[in-house]
Amino acid sequence: MPVFVEDPAQFSKPRLKSELIAHNVTLPAVESKKQVYVELYLKHIVQKSAADFSSDEEDDDVVEVQDSQDFEEEKDPKMLDPSVLTDDELKTTLLKYGVEAGPIVATTRSIYERKLQRLLKPAQPWQNGGTGDADQYSDSEGDEESVSQGSPETVSLMEENLHVDMRMVPHSWNNKNTEYHYHQCFMPLSRMVLPQSVSLRGGCDVDSSLSSKSFSITQMVEEFESRIPLSSSGPEIKRGNNRSSNQGPCPRPYWQEAATVDKYTMTNRSLFITPKTSLFKRQIKEPVTDVLMEMFPETEPTPTGIAATRRRPIKGAAGRPVQFKYPDLPASPMTLQRWAVEHRLVPLWVQILVFFIVACLLYLIYAAMEDSLANPFVTLLDNLSMETETEGLSLQAEP
Amino acid sequence: MSSTSQKHKEFVAEPMGEKPVNALAGIGEVLGRRLEEKGFDKAYVVLGQFLVLKKDEELFRDWLKDSCGANVKQQGDCYGCLREWCDSFL
Repeated sequence: MPVFVEDPAQFSKPRLKSELIAHNVTLPAVESKKQVYVELYLKHIVQKSAADFSSDEEDDDVVEVQDSQDFEEEKDPKMLDPSVLTDDELKTTLLKYGVEAGPIVATTRSIYERKLQRLLKPAQPWQNGGTGDADQYSDSEGDEESVSQGSPETVSLMEENLHVDMRMVPHSWNNKNTEYHYHQCFMPLSRMVLPQSVSLRGGCDVDSSLSSKSFSITQMVEEFESRIPLSSSGPEIKRGNNRSSNQGPCPRPYWQEAATVDKYTMTNRSLFITPKTSLFKRQIKEPVTDVLMEMFPETEPTPTGIAATRRRPIKGAAGRPVQFKYPDLPASPMTLQRWAVEHRLVPLWVQILVFFIVACLLYLIYAAMEDSLANPFVTLLDNLSMETETEGLSLQAEP
Repeated sequence: MSSTSQKHKEFVAEPMGEKPVNALAGIGEVLGRRLEEKGFDKAYVVLGQFLVLKKDEELFRDWLKDSCGANVKQQGDCYGCLREWCDSFL
């Protein structure tokens, strides 16, 4: 297992400067030579870790002592002491704890170290049987590394799998990957983007976000598929189909390729099982992709079959009033409600009219039914007339 | 909404440009001076740190406490200020 030696003499001056700042060490005069920085670095920062390892020699051989002791205690303190870890290891360890760490730069490193320590604290008393857990961790580290970006080991692992199964991996990828392995923290930001994209090209990492990356991955997958005697059509024709803007074949091969690639990485018997199962899978996959195309008929077919909608810009920010600039916004619930209400107003008159018509009809029916309903009214009328008659009689009688 | 200070409102209302680090909510004279000593002399540098920490609250608070000794309230003010600024302008 390789030991990661951080030789301060190989650091650049600004890097040393930032490291000193991160460890709260006063900087020497601006024009002092790099050696001064190196000495200060060794003095303050190495002292910290040397104190942890309780080494006797502190001057020249500190780094070497660190080496030997690092080698011995590599497994355990990696769980306990975050300051020994390199940036990459720190990042992967944090990822193990579910913390998605950002770039580990000089200023952020101490923060992430402290975070890791805090995460390790409750875990440490439980790690009495260290070996068992260490084994688990080392296994998961292997898995984690296969997932993480930018490490050549994982890329070569993946490529080995594919290489063994399919013997199709072009060797140019290996070369490209070895060129571009950097520690993340040492690279200026502009260069950080490039190696990721290049390493991803060979790394079979399907989680890419940039369109350029996705296109190169599909290139790779297309090449895989083209060399396997799966499809009925020839490889060049297939490639032509894939790269043209047909809606049908474009997303379909992606699904199929993903399925078959997955299968290939898992099993060794690649070429024998293929034709029927792949066709079968293709048939299964076909209706799915067609449905997608039906759902979004307007989207242009992309090489990977992945289509992204336009990100809606932030409303009302920095002079971007909503109603004037973005007329084609989807309606908010309030506007939908308003539209629904308005929509109902139009036939409201019709509803009222119908109501009156029905009321009239009912009254006519009611009036037409003489026998059953007439009686109570007749009796009422009779009573009334009797009362009036009696009143009239009484009135007549009085005077 | 009334819990944000005047400083916060002023900062969040417009692009920060070349504003000094004192203009951040929660960062007064003393803290501002400490940040400047560390090299964070403008508000955008602190913004840079905020973004490098992926706008994570806990990490940013930690960093603030570590670099200038801000207390919990000051950390919260500064974090809220930067986050709202990012929501509007980033």
